[in-house]
Amino acid sequence: MGKVFIFDAAKCNGCRNCQLACKDEHVDNEWLPYAKPQPDTGQFWTSMEEIIRGQVPKVKVSYVMHRCQHCDNAPCMKAAPDAVYKREDGLVIIDPVKAEGKRELVDACPYGAIFWNEELSIPQKCTGCAHLVDEGELPHCVDVCPHEALRFGDEEDFADEIAKAEAIAPERAASDEPRMYYLNLPKRFIGGIIVDLEADEVIIGAKITLENLDSGEIKVTESDDFGDFWFHQIPAAKFRVYVEANGYLTRVIEADTTNEDKNIGPIDLYINQLG
Amino acid sequence: MSKNAKGTPIVKGLGFDSFGLGANACTVDIDEEANKILRIRPFHFDEHQTPEELNAWKIEARGKTFEPGFKTLISPLSLCYKKRVYSKNRIPYPMKRIDWDPAGERNPQNRGTSGYERISWDEAAEIVAAEIKRMHDEYAPEAILCEIDGHGETKVVHASHGCITHLLDLCGGFTLQSRQPDSWEGWYWGAKHIWGMDPLGQQNKQNNVIKDISENGDAVLFWGCDPETTPLGWGGYMASRICFWFTEIGVKQIHISPDVNYANAVHADKWIPVLPNTDAALQLAIAYTWIKDGTFDQEYLDTHAVGFENFKYYVLGGEDGVPKTPKWAEKICGVPSYTIKALARYWAKHAVSIAHCNGGSFIRSCFAHEPARLEVALLGMQGLGKPGANQFKFMEWTLFGIPTLDPLPPSTHIPSLGAAYRGYVTGTKTSFIPKTMIPEAIMNPPVSWYGHISAGLPREDQFDGPYTFPPEGGSRVHMIWSDSPCWETCWNGGFKMQDALRDESIECVVVQHPWMENDTMFADIILPSNTKFETEDIGTDCDSGQWNVVFYERQAIKPLGESKSDKEVVAEVAKKLEKFGGIYEDIYDKYLGGKTDDEWIRVGFDTSGAPEGMSFEEFKEKQYYAFPTREDWKDIPAGVREFHDDPEANPLRTPSGKLEYYSTTLAQNFPDDKERGPIPHWVDEGAGHQERQYLERGRKYPFLLVSNHPHFRVHAQHDDVTWFREMETCKVTGPDGYKYEPVWVNPIDAGKLSLETGDVVRVYNERGAVLGGVIVSERIMPGAVYQDHGARCDSIVLGEGGLDRGGANNLIAPTACTSNHAHGEVTSGFLVNIEKVDVHKLAEEYPEAFERDYDPACGLVATARVVNGKEGE
Repeated sequence: MGKVFIFDAAKCNGCRNCQLACKDEHVDNEWLPYAKPQPDTGQFWTSMEEIIRGQVPKVKVSYVMHRCQHCDNAPCMKAAPDAVYKREDGLVIIDPVKAEGKRELVDACPYGAIFWNEELSIPQKCTGCAHLVDEGELPHCVDVCPHEALRFGDEEDFADEIAKAEAIAPERAASDEPRMYYLNLPKRFIGGIIVDLEADEVIIGAKITLENLDSGEIKVTESDDFGDFWFHQIPAAKFRVYVEANGYLTRVIEADTTNEDKNIGPIDLYINQLG
Repeated sequence: MSKNAKGTPIVKGLGFDSFGLGANACTVDIDEEANKILRIRPFHFDEHQTPEELNAWKIEARGKTFEPGFKTLISPLSLCYKKRVYSKNRIPYPMKRIDWDPAGERNPQNRGTSGYERISWDEAAEIVAAEIKRMHDEYAPEAILCEIDGHGETKVVHASHGCITHLLDLCGGFTLQSRQPDSWEGWYWGAKHIWGMDPLGQQNKQNNVIKDISENGDAVLFWGCDPETTPLGWGGYMASRICFWFTEIGVKQIHISPDVNYANAVHADKWIPVLPNTDAALQLAIAYTWIKDGTFDQEYLDTHAVGFENFKYYVLGGEDGVPKTPKWAEKICGVPSYTIKALARYWAKHAVSIAHCNGGSFIRSCFAHEPARLEVALLGMQGLGKPGANQFKFMEWTLFGIPTLDPLPPSTHIPSLGAAYRGYVTGTKTSFIPKTMIPEAIMNPPVSWYGHISAGLPREDQFDGPYTFPPEGGSRVHMIWSDSPCWETCWNGGFKMQDALRDESIECVVVQHPWMENDTMFADIILPSNTKFETEDIGTDCDSGQWNVVFYERQAIKPLGESKSDKEVVAEVAKKLEKFGGIYEDIYDKYLGGKTDDEWIRVGFDTSGAPEGMSFEEFKEKQYYAFPTREDWKDIPAGVREFHDDPEANPLRTPSGKLEYYSTTLAQNFPDDKERGPIPHWVDEGAGHQERQYLERGRKYPFLLVSNHPHFRVHAQHDDVTWFREMETCKVTGPDGYKYEPVWVNPIDAGKLSLETGDVVRVYNERGAVLGGVIVSERIMPGAVYQDHGARCDSIVLGEGGLDRGGANNLIAPTACTSNHAHGEVTSGFLVNIEKVDVHKLAEEYPEAFERDYDPACGLVATARVVNGKEGE
C-alpha cells in the first residue's frame, strides 16, 4: 500500500516544527539501514520557505514546505539505480552505504532535496522516517505538526485531498510522479481600500470588478466595513480593476501581479457631478 | 534495525517561565544504554486515561466543532531543546575570574572583560561561603543582593530559582531584587485603576470566553498581540489553533500593531498599522467618534461606571483645548482618520472582544498605563461583558493558580507543587530593590519608590510607601548572587547595569547558570548548574488548554561536565558555611529539609491533588495524571457577564465597585501626577521620557523601535540553538560571517537610508548602540523598525554609551521607569536611529572583541572566556 504526504498551506502557521523535528530525529542519531546522521546545520531534509506578500498595510505571509517528493519515477533513482531504491510503501531511500561518494545525486534532484554530507561523503535526504514507519509510528515531522497541515498515510485514505491537490513543480509532475501533494499553495492577491478623501470616509459596499487582461476572466467583490477589498488566490497576470459606487464617478485602475502580490492602496472616489 | 528506534519514553515539562510554574509537557524518548536523548515529541493525555475519564470537552458553534486533541501542541522552543542541553555554550566546570583575588586586588572594573580559570567545586564553594561570612561580619546580611527571579527552566525539587534565598534566609537574610510586573506593565500600573482587576490588571475572569466568542462574537481585536510566538515558552500552539478556529467560523481577526507579527501574518483579516506606543491617541479618537456619533452605551455607563463625564470632557477637548478627533490622532499614530472612524463604527455595531499576549510596545513603553486604561474605557463604552465582548489572553491560563483565567473549558483542579518546591518564592522583605532600579540603587543610593513592586500584589500596594534603599540603618549592596543572569538583555537600560556590575562598591559577584551568557560574564565566581534533563523531578503543565496534568520527570541523562542542579549548587555552599558554627550550624541539613529528592518528589505528588486511589508507585510507572474537564464547565458565566448583568451584586475591585473613568484613589494619592492622572490621557512627554517622533529628540532619533517577545527565544533563553540560528529569518549573516540579530526596516525607510537586506547597522541613541542585520520587509510600517529583544550580549564597548555586537537592544532602552509613580520597564517603543556600519572597520578598531572564540552555528561559546581550563592549577 502506498504512503503519501499531504501539505496544506492554508493550515500552516509557519512554526517550523517539521523542520526542527527532522533535525531532532536525524542529527546525532543513526537510523540504519535508512540513514546515517544528518550534520547539525546546513542540511534541510525538510524546510519551510517564508514568502512575504503584498505591501503595508495589506501584507500576508505564506509558508511552503520543501523536501523530497518521494517520486514514483524519481530522477535520483534513475541517476543511481544501485544506490537509491523505493520501498514497497513508496518511500524513496538513498542507501547510506551504497551511495558513498555519489555526489552527483545532489544535482540529480530537481527539487533541491538532496544534500551532500562532506564528513561522511554521502548524499542524504528525507527518509520519511522509515525507521519509525516500520514500527507503526508517524514520521517525526508529521507527529509534531500542531494543525495537521502536514499529514502522512495511505494513498487510499487521502483520495479526496489528492483529487484537489497540486504539485510543487507542476511541469515535472507527470514525469516524476511525486508522492507529496500540496493544497492551497499561495498564488497572488490584489487588495486595496476605497475612500472618499474629501469626506474623509471609507466607502462601504463599493462594487469592485477585476478583469484578468491575459485570460479575460472576471471576478467581482464588494468593499467591506473598512472600505477594504481583496481578491485572493488569483493568477500572476495583468489586471484591470473597476470601482463603482452609487453617486461616485467610476474609476479604472491597472494592476500587475506578474512579479508580486499587489496592495493598490487607497482608491479615491469622486462625487459624480456630471448630472 | 540495529536498535529500538522508539527508545524509552519519559516525560519532561519543557516550559521556560521560571519557578515551579510548569508548562509544555513533552514526551522525551531516551536511549538509556547510550545515556542519550533520542527525540522530543508531543505528550499524550490518552496513554493511560480514556476520553471519558478526561471528560473530553468540545465547543460547538455555527455548525462546527472545536476539540482540543489528545496530544500536546508542542512548541518549537521545546522541540529544539536537545541543542540547549548539549550546547557548546554550557559551562563545563566552576570558574574564577583571573584577576579577582578575594584576599587581594578585586579589580571590579574588569568584570565583563577579563577571562576565567577553572577551579574545583571545593574551592569555589569555599570562596562563596567565605564571602558570605565576610559580608555578614563586615556589613550585614542585606549587603548581599539576590537575583532569583526571571525566566528559566521550570523545575521543582531542583528549582532553578530561589535556592540561594532559601539558604540565605536560614542565616540572616538578604536584599531582594523585586521583580516588577514586567510582562504586564501597562495593565498592572494602569488598567487596575479603572477596573480593579487583580493581580495583573488584565481581565481576571476569562472562563468560557472562547465559547462565548464562538457563539456570539463578530470580531477580535489583536492589540499588539501575537498568539503565534508569545505563548510558546508557556503553552504551545493551542493559541494558534484558536486563531484557525476563529477563521473557520468567521470571527474577524483585526490586528492593530506596528508590525506584521507571526499571528497577523497567517490569521489576520485586517491589519491596522499603528506607530509604536501611540495607541492611546487611536483609542481616544475612537472614543471621540462614538461620542460624536452617539454610538456608545450610555445606559450601561449609567449603571456600571463612575466619572465618565470627566473622561468625555477631556476627549471632547474641554480640559486642554484639544478635541481628540481622528484627524488629531492620525498625525500622532499614523492611522488614516477614515480608518479610525471605520474601526469605531464597526466596533459600535458588532460584538467585539480584545485579545492579548504580553509585552510589545502597546504595554511596555513609557506611560503604558494610559493605553491599558483607555482600552478598558473603550470596552466599557460598548457594554463590557455583553455577549461576545470581553478582554482575554492567549496564555497564562492558570497563572498563580487562579482558576478564573482559563478561557477554555477548565480542568477540575490546578495542581500545585509548592510543597515540594526547593527554591523559595520570596514574599516581601524589609530590604528590597525594584528590579528596574537596580543600577541606580547600586551606584547612587538612596533610591525610593512606592509599593512592593512584586508582580501579583493588589492595586492598593501601588500607594504604599515611599520605600527607600537602603532602608534606614541598612547596608548598601556589596555582593551579588544570581541564578538568573540576564538583567542586561531583559531589563531597562542594560548598559547602565554593566556599569553597576563593575562599580567598586561591588566586591563579589557569584553567578550559577548552565550557560555562559549575558551577566554570567560579569561574575567573579561561576558555578555551573545543569538542565532538567540531568535531574529527576516532578512537574505540571496547566497551560496547554487541554487538561491540567501532573507528571513524574525521570532523569534523562547524567549531568554534563561538572554541572550540578541549582539545588545542589547551593548545597555545596551550605556545606562550607557549616564550619563557621553559630547560625550556620547544621545549615546544610536545614537547607535540604531532611528529605531525599525522591521523598520531595513524593511530597509533591501527595499534595498535588492527584486522586487518593493512585499510589506513588503507580504515578511513577504511568508517569502522569491528567485532571478531567470540569463537569459543570458550560455553566460557568462567560467572562465578566455577571458584572454586566448585575453590577451591584458583582462589583469590580475598584473603590466604587464600578469602572472608574476617574480614579479617585489616583487623585487622592498622587494629586500632582501629570503622567498618570485620575483620567487616562494622551501624554506627550514626562520627567523621564521624551520618546515622541514629533518632539525634539525625534529629530535626532527618528525611528521608534518595536521589540516584542522574541520568536526564536524565551527572552534570553535559546539564543544558542543552532537549528534556529541557521534559519534565514532568525539571524542575518553579516559580511564577516557573524550572525547578527535581524532588524526589520520598511522598504521606504530602507530607500532613504540606502539599506539592503544583509547590511549591518547600528541601532543607537544617546544610551549606546547595538548592531543588527537588516531585513528589508513589508512586515514593519514606515517610521518604525523592529528587532526582537533577548539576543545574547556580545559587548564591544561596555557601559553607558557602549556598543554591543549581539543586538541586545534592552541595553539601549530607557533607564527611567514607566512614569514617575509606576516603576515598570520601558523596553519597547522608544526612539533610536539606525545607520549602516562597516564591520571590517569595526573589527580593526576593536580587534579583541571581534576575535573572541565564536562558532557561527551556536554563537559565542563558553570557551571564549576561559583562559585556563586545566584541572587543579
